[in-house]
Amino acid sequence: MRSYLALELRRSLRDRRYLLLVVGWPVGAYLLFSTVFGAASDRSEGLAPTIEIMIAMAAFGAMGGVLMASGPRLAIDRQVGWLRQLSLTPLSPFRVLAVRLITAMTLSLPAICLIFLTAAVVKDVTLPLWEWPVLVLCIAAGCLPFAAMGIVIGSIADGDGAQGLTMVLYLVLAALGGLWVPEQILPAPLQTVANALPSYHLAQLGWSVARGLAPAIGDGLVLLGWFGVAALLAVAVSRRLTLRTV
Amino acid sequence: MTQQISVQPRNASADHATTGDAVRVEGVSRSYGAVRAVDDVSLSVGRGQTVALLGPNGAGKTTTITMILGLARPDQGTVAVLGTSPEDAVARGLIGAMLQDGGMMPGVQVGELLAMVRNLFPAPLSLRETMVVAQLEGLEKRRVDRLSGGQSQRLRLAMALVGDPELLILDEPTAAMDVEARRNFWHEMRGFTDRGRTILFSTHYLEEADITADRIILMARGRVVADGTPSAIKNSVGLRVIRFTVVRAETSGFDSLPGVVAASAHGNRVELRCRDTDLALRALLNTRPDAHDIEVSGIALEDAFLSITDGVAA
Repeated sequence: MRSYLALELRRSLRDRRYLLLVVGWPVGAYLLFSTVFGAASDRSEGLAPTIEIMIAMAAFGAMGGVLMASGPRLAIDRQVGWLRQLSLTPLSPFRVLAVRLITAMTLSLPAICLIFLTAAVVKDVTLPLWEWPVLVLCIAAGCLPFAAMGIVIGSIADGDGAQGLTMVLYLVLAALGGLWVPEQILPAPLQTVANALPSYHLAQLGWSVARGLAPAIGDGLVLLGWFGVAALLAVAVSRRLTLRTV
Repeated sequence: MTQQISVQPRNASADHATTGDAVRVEGVSRSYGAVRAVDDVSLSVGRGQTVALLGPNGAGKTTTITMILGLARPDQGTVAVLGTSPEDAVARGLIGAMLQDGGMMPGVQVGELLAMVRNLFPAPLSLRETMVVAQLEGLEKRRVDRLSGGQSQRLRLAMALVGDPELLILDEPTAAMDVEARRNFWHEMRGFTDRGRTILFSTHYLEEADITADRIILMARGRVVADGTPSAIKNSVGLRVIRFTVVRAETSGFDSLPGVVAASAHGNRVELRCRDTDLALRALLNTRPDAHDIEVSGIALEDAFLSITDGVAA
């Protein structure tokens, strides 16, 4: 299992187009947004815009890294018959899914770290030292629902379809979850939607920590709830991936 | 026209220590929608045997293999592999398999992929030996998505071999190969069978099954239509034909001539399907001096299959 995980990680990090998309895009967006809105007054209970946007873009990048590393890759691996081939080895279907989940979760890290680095170096963002690793961990762990969603998408859609579906899901979750524009300036009905989305609560986790608070239990519970639902769905449809019952 | 020819496997005594069959399929049926892909099939493969699953496209070979690997469940019947369930045998690394639609992990190198798969098995071959047997030397650094068709096929074989499994299941392993590549392939496989391993492979080439298998299981339209040694199968199929014209319109009774498997007539033109044309010809000339315009030829295997298939349908 460990050798399969290692190979999955190695091939993900070798994929330059993928890295450009899931790292380059949020980093670019961070530089743009923090430059345009960086001079604005504090919008969110004492958080500087450069920090607030840093967290939002880290959540955006992490979510993208996880979604793109699971759904479309799984769909292609299924389409080319690799998962069928893998099902002929002693690696159990549960372990195959576990490796894919861990791989996807790991791929939240490049975007988070690079955005933090950019913020610290380019935008002079400073935080208490302990907050950096806690932020990385909170945002990475909060991506669990997206990894499970990716497994669902990879099970039901084919290569191009999965790519499209993932991109739509990604953009909807980002826009409605208040990662691009603060949730407070969305119209009231959309605010209600935002409050239900995992992307919003992922950013909330980070914003709490950046304010020096403990991450709210409520945000964690919503994320866990989304993970639970997506994981149940994933187990239900994953036979299409692994060809055997998990 | 179903023949059940019982045979003693050539090397049945080779593996007395481990009892039980490598593969045992009993009364298995499987439908896809309205199509009955496999219809009440029973077969067994003894340990240490090399057995060919022979038949035309659509005979149910791949579906049977899929069930032996536990990738599909039979609607009816049971499958046992090496004394356990297919799932358990796969999980314990006892089976290596090569499927027609098996694919490779995109974006990695041949050597990386084989090394990873090798690590999944309890007692694998060395990487080096696998590369040699599968004729992949020099391709370690090649990306798997940049392999030619033949190279991909050899990599699929390497993936099946690398775990050094007890039982090797190969679905049309030589489909994309030319005659020479096919010969090389089976030459390399000798080392595997010489160690007492079991091979079950499917093919639609009779010559291939004839040369390489201890036993042939012939399938058509989802059923086993014959099961026996290659020579027994060839005789029962009747791969040589005598055609001639008769003066007298009397065309019955030809099928009882020695060496003849089946006879048919269109007007005065008669066709005899034979297992032994020499024998049949002598008898024919003795009994029917009015036979003329005599031709002796081989028939295409596909036609031979069709005649058996028709026999099944009737």
